[in-house]
Parts: sequence; C-alpha cells; structure tokens
Amino acid sequence: MASYKEIAEQGLWTQNVVFSQLLGLCPTLAVTTSGTNGLGMGLATTAVLAVSGMIVSSLRQWISPQVRIPVFIVLIAALVTLVDMGLNAYLHDLYKVLGMYIALIVANCSVLGRAEAFAAREPVFASGLDGLSMGLGFTFALTLIGLIRELLGAGTLFSQASLLLGPSFKFLETTVVADYGGFLLMILPPGGFLVLGCLLAAKRLYEARRAVAAGPLSPSAQPA
Amino acid sequence: MNDAPLLPLAAAPPVAAPHTYAARSVSTVMAWVMAALTPATVYGFWLYGWPALYLWLITIGCAVGGEAFCLRLMGRRPGPILRDGSAVLTGWLLAVSLPPWAPWWIGAFGGAFAAIFGKQVFGGLGQNPFNPAMVARVALLISFPVAMTSWVAPLPLGSAAAPGVLQSLAITFKGIPTDFDGVASASLLGYSKTEMTRGIDLLHSLAHAGAPGVAWGGFRPGSLGETAALLVAAGGALLLWLRIISWHTPAAMLAGIALPAAIGHALNPGQYLDATTHLLAGGALLGAFFIATDYVTSPNTPAGQLIFGFGVGLLTWVIRTWGGYPEGVAFAVMLMNVMTPVIDRYVKPRAFGRDRRGRPIAARRVN
Amino acid sequence: MTLLELREKIGYHALLLGAVALAASVTLAGVDGKTRSGIAAAEQRDLQQSLAQVLPEGFADNDLLKDKVNLKRADGSAVAVFRARLKGEAKGAVFQMSARGYADEVVVLIGVDVGGRILGVRVLKHKETPGLGDKIEIAKGNWIRSFEGRSLGDPTAARFGVKKDGGVFDQFAGATITPRAVVKAVREGLQFFVANQPAIFAVPGKE
Repeated sequence: MASYKEIAEQGLWTQNVVFSQLLGLCPTLAVTTSGTNGLGMGLATTAVLAVSGMIVSSLRQWISPQVRIPVFIVLIAALVTLVDMGLNAYLHDLYKVLGMYIALIVANCSVLGRAEAFAAREPVFASGLDGLSMGLGFTFALTLIGLIRELLGAGTLFSQASLLLGPSFKFLETTVVADYGGFLLMILPPGGFLVLGCLLAAKRLYEARRAVAAGPLSPSAQPA
Repeated sequence: MNDAPLLPLAAAPPVAAPHTYAARSVSTVMAWVMAALTPATVYGFWLYGWPALYLWLITIGCAVGGEAFCLRLMGRRPGPILRDGSAVLTGWLLAVSLPPWAPWWIGAFGGAFAAIFGKQVFGGLGQNPFNPAMVARVALLISFPVAMTSWVAPLPLGSAAAPGVLQSLAITFKGIPTDFDGVASASLLGYSKTEMTRGIDLLHSLAHAGAPGVAWGGFRPGSLGETAALLVAAGGALLLWLRIISWHTPAAMLAGIALPAAIGHALNPGQYLDATTHLLAGGALLGAFFIATDYVTSPNTPAGQLIFGFGVGLLTWVIRTWGGYPEGVAFAVMLMNVMTPVIDRYVKPRAFGRDRRGRPIAARRVN
Repeated sequence: MTLLELREKIGYHALLLGAVALAASVTLAGVDGKTRSGIAAAEQRDLQQSLAQVLPEGFADNDLLKDKVNLKRADGSAVAVFRARLKGEAKGAVFQMSARGYADEVVVLIGVDVGGRILGVRVLKHKETPGLGDKIEIAKGNWIRSFEGRSLGDPTAARFGVKKDGGVFDQFAGATITPRAVVKAVREGLQFFVANQPAIFAVPGKE
C-alpha cells in the first residue's frame, strides 16, 4: 500500500486526472470558460470523488465482483444527484452556470475509475484521501485551464468568483485588460482543446528537462 | 545500456528500394503555385491599395516566423526547412483570403496560427490533417467576426480617393480612419443573406440600386485575392497545364457548387442565388484551384479527388445557403479534410496483378 | 458459509443491488424533500429579479409574479403579462416578446408604464453570434437601454428602426440583423400593449 504522501502526490501531480490520465475531459473542455467555472466544477467533482471513495471502500468486502460496476454507478449517481439538488437550492447562481454539467459528473470516468482502481481494494481513510487528492488535482487542472481561457478570451480573471465563494472573495475578480476586444476562439470549444494541448506539451517539456537534469543514472530518467 | 551512439533518424541510410525520382522538388512546386497566384494577388494590390500589400507582407512574415519558432523549439535548424517555401505559400493563401484592409494583428495572428497550430503541432509539412491557411482563416473568423467581415469598396491605386503610402500604414496599424467611413461595403453573399432575414427576397434585394454585384473582372468588395475570377482561373489553368494539380478536384468542386445552385435557382429564384453568382462570389474559384488541391490534405486518387471536390462544393453551397455565415469555402474545405483519410481508405487504386478488392488475378497464359 | 462464498450466489447479487438502490432512493427522497422548497424559492427569485430589471426601483410594491393575466395576441400566441401596482394603483406592465434574429428567436422582456412609455428592456434568451450580435445583452453593453423612455410615436413609426433602415437606433459594426430583430420585438410589444391596454388592467389582480 502506498503511503499517504504518495497518494497525495499521485492525485495532485504524477497521476493527475487531466494532465496524466486524460480522464474526465468532457467537463474539462466544456465548463472551463472561466476560472470560476473551473473551480466550481472541480470542487463539486472533488466532493463526489472523496465521498464515493469512502463509501465504496467501506462496503468493499460486501460488494460481489460480478455486480460491482452497477453498484458503483448507483452510488455515484445518487451522490451526484445530491450535489445537484444541494447546489440548486443553496448556491443557485453557480448552479445556473454549471447546472447542465453537474449531472455529467456521473459520466466522469475518473470517479468510476478511482472506485474501481483504488477504493475497491484500499481502506476507508486512504480511499477518502485518494479521492480528495485526485479531486484537488482535477480542480487545479480545471481552474488553470479556465483562467488561461478567460484571460485570453475575455481579459479577466475569476470573474463572478463572489457567486461561488461569497462576497468576501470579490477581490479575486480582476480585469486584466480593460476594454478588451475579446478573443472568442478561447471561450468557444476549440479554445479548450488548444489550451489543454499546450499545457500537456508544457508538462512533458518540464518533465523531460527534469529527467535530463537528474542525470542518466537516476531512476526518473528511465522511460515510464 | 547500449553505449554505441544512436544514429539520428534522418542520417540513417535508406533501407530498401524502390524510390521514385520526381523531377520537381517541393520548393519548385511551391514556387510555381506562388507564380500562379501572383496575377490575382497583384490585381488585389491594385484594387485595394497599399493596405492590402502591407497585410500580405505581415501575414507571410508571421507565417514564416511562426514556423521558424516551432523548428527552433524542436531543436532543428529552420533554414533548410523554410527554404521549401511551404510556409510562405501558407501565409500567401491566408493573406489572399483576408479582408484587404484588415488590421495588422489579423495578419500577424493568422499567419502565426496557421504555421504553429495548423501545421507544426502535427509535425510539419505532410503531417497536417487540415489545410493550415483555412485553419487560420476559420480561427480568425470565429474569433474576430467584426474585423473579418469588414469589406471595403475597391479604391484602385492611382485614383484620387485611394490612400497614400503613409496613410495606408496608418490604416493597417491604427485602424480605418473616420474619413474613410464611406468605403465600408458589403459582399454580395453577406448582403443577400442580411436582406433575406428582413423578409426581402433575392429578386427584390438584388434589383436594388445599391446592391453589390459580381463580375468576371473582379471589381467588387471581397477578400484580397479572390475577386478577380479570370486571373484566379488563369493561375489555375497554369497549374493544370504544368500538371501540378489535376482537373479532378477543381472541376468536382465547381460542379458541387454549381449543380445544387442551378437546381435551387430554377425552383425558386427568390430564395436561391444562381450558379454563376455562386461561382464568382466569395472564394469559390480560389478554393477550387488553390486550396482544395493541397496535396497533403486531399485524397491521392482521381476518384477520391472527385468525391472530395464535390463534397467541398456541396458543403460550400449548403453553408452559404442555410448556414450562419455568409461564406462557407473555408469551413467546407476543413470538413472535407477530415474525410480525406476515410476517402483514401475506401477509394484505393487497383494494385498491379490484383483486382479492386485486392484479390490476386489468375495469370493467363499468352502464347 | 463465509461472506466470500455468499458473495458468489446469484441471489446475493440481486439482494445487494436492491439494497444499494433502496438506500440511494431513500436518501435522495429525503434530500429532495429538504431542498424542494429552496429550489422553488430560488427559481421564483430568478424570475422576480429579471422582472425587477425592467422596472425602476420603487416603481411597484406588489408581487408581480402573483399579479398576472394571460392574453392572446392577434396571431393566437399567448402572452403572460405581469402587472405592476403601487399602493393598489396600476402603474405598468411587464411581458415577453420575441422576434427572429440571425440564429434563432431573440426573447426580450419589456417593461411599460401605463402611459405606454418603455421603462426597460432586457434580452432573456438568444443564440446570436458571440462578439457580433451579443452586444444586445446588458452585460456586454448599454445598447439595450436606448429604448428607455421611448414609446409608439417617439420616434415616429417610420423612424422606429435601426439607423441603416432610416431609424433612430444604432446597429453594431458587422451586425444589423440582431438589433433589427430586437427593435422589431420592442415595437410589436408596444403595439400589443397599446392594443390590449384595457384588457391588461381590466381584470382585477389576485392579491
């Protein structure tokens, strides 16, 4: 079993849902038109990931391997519906932005993937931590993509953040370029693909440089 | 670990024959295509004045710059690859499809986008699934719809109203000054679409005195190098005569536009433009001879090229007639670019000694 | 029999699935009951906010959502009219109109006072080209406010259009069709209001 530190590292960086596993791309590409949207979607997914991990893990010895997938799906779908109803009732403004994508968390393969690959065989606390760190890694990726698209497309950062985090976070809302004409491609779907592609290239460049710097004998230089 | 130095791939000796020898190198082909584009481009410079020339220079410069940047990033020497001329041609094709008085950043962004995201991210010439110039044009169109649909009426060099050399620099770099407001104009495709949504059918809107027209000579508002139908067609004829392109793609594409247009116009002239107008308007001819015929992104076989060309033409007509944008050549070319691998898979030439399905043909004894 | 052996039985599979589904349903039903009123209140608030946008502050003191009449236009389409009252006296009305834009119907919400003057207009729904036609949104520009204070006759019928058609309202660079559609919807809205004014205020409100 991996140590808690390794679990956290894997979720946040080495096995990052978006940048390494390339899972959950539907919400990644669809909602990241602004940093706030990315952050909101990421946090909602994190909640589902952490809780579903713990539930699956605590039930793991009762779940027959033959029917595990339907059981996981029912659990995840129920959780997502809970998040959906909760957001609609208590964070309605954010719900209006994310509404149609919340239901898609069910189809986010990373949630089922973590239940299957981790929670079904590891203890409850580790599964919760795995879900949390995977979710935070996902949130980081979505927020980053959202911020880049928002900056290039509309010249702002974290617009409408106070809808998500409360009025005290109004200071996050920045207009970087006043009177910006707008670069619509970035806000439209192709922008999601372009930004994701550039970030993937940047991550690989960074890792390749690090492997070279570490020298040919270090284990990290070996191809994975 | 193996300590022997690995040969770089490019330096590896050729492994097996046969190799075909082509008398024309890539750079020769590119140079001929540019030569064929020259008459229509020069006419565009005359028709729209100095701003068109500046835009053309900026676009090509940034396409070459973008390609060089990517090659440097990959640790390759840009010089030899840039000399094949494909980056210049990409920038040129993009420039002639832009509104001639577009601001400098349209050309700069478009040129760099074509080279980087249209071509080099896929691995350079020969690897790109889409025509790079059209990738950039579509990206520009959906990103900056105002700048990309602001046409100007022709103000030929030498006429009194045409802006001078320095004034044109201001137009390209600072925007069109207010005393030139009168030159703003509409293309025929855009105009007829706008009027149609007001409930005015083509019979009335085109009969209106201020309606834009199309002409073989090309004296009309439009993209930098697409208006002079005769000169574009002459360039296409040169490429055909040199056998740089075959007749299949252009003929099929023009038929793909003209056939549905003729049928639609015969059924309801109030709603559908006639075939001649469709062929002369927008970028139909430029697309047919110079853009749809791109070697990399169109099918290899004559039959495949017929399907590809007809598809481009038909989609162009569909987008012009029912789509959200007045012109559809760029979208149509990109959509059919996606189909190219499929077409190439199903339309294969018959291999020697085998039938069309790939089964060997029994040898016949000849006495 | 150990749990491992039991897990292999078909009956156990059915029981497990059934139990999980039952637990999920019970939880969902419980949370649904808890959030239902909150969701309904939030949606009500949405509608109220958009109604309030086309009326000046303090213009009405009644609950517009409850003070509603359904009328029919000449072409048979139904229009819901919300009436604004101050201290019981009829002050104005709010209703939706739509016209065909570039891509799809543009739906606008119009607030009119009893004198037939426009109090405010907002676009509720549209699919116009981003960057071109979407300047009709209040978030993208103040154009939509150019209707405020206008009425039938101001400008005159011939001038109630975009500048390109000889009217008084601006069009946008590169987009004429969208503003033209909004102007048309507003004009038709005013005509509807004037033609139906007696009917709008005749029916007493259910306060």
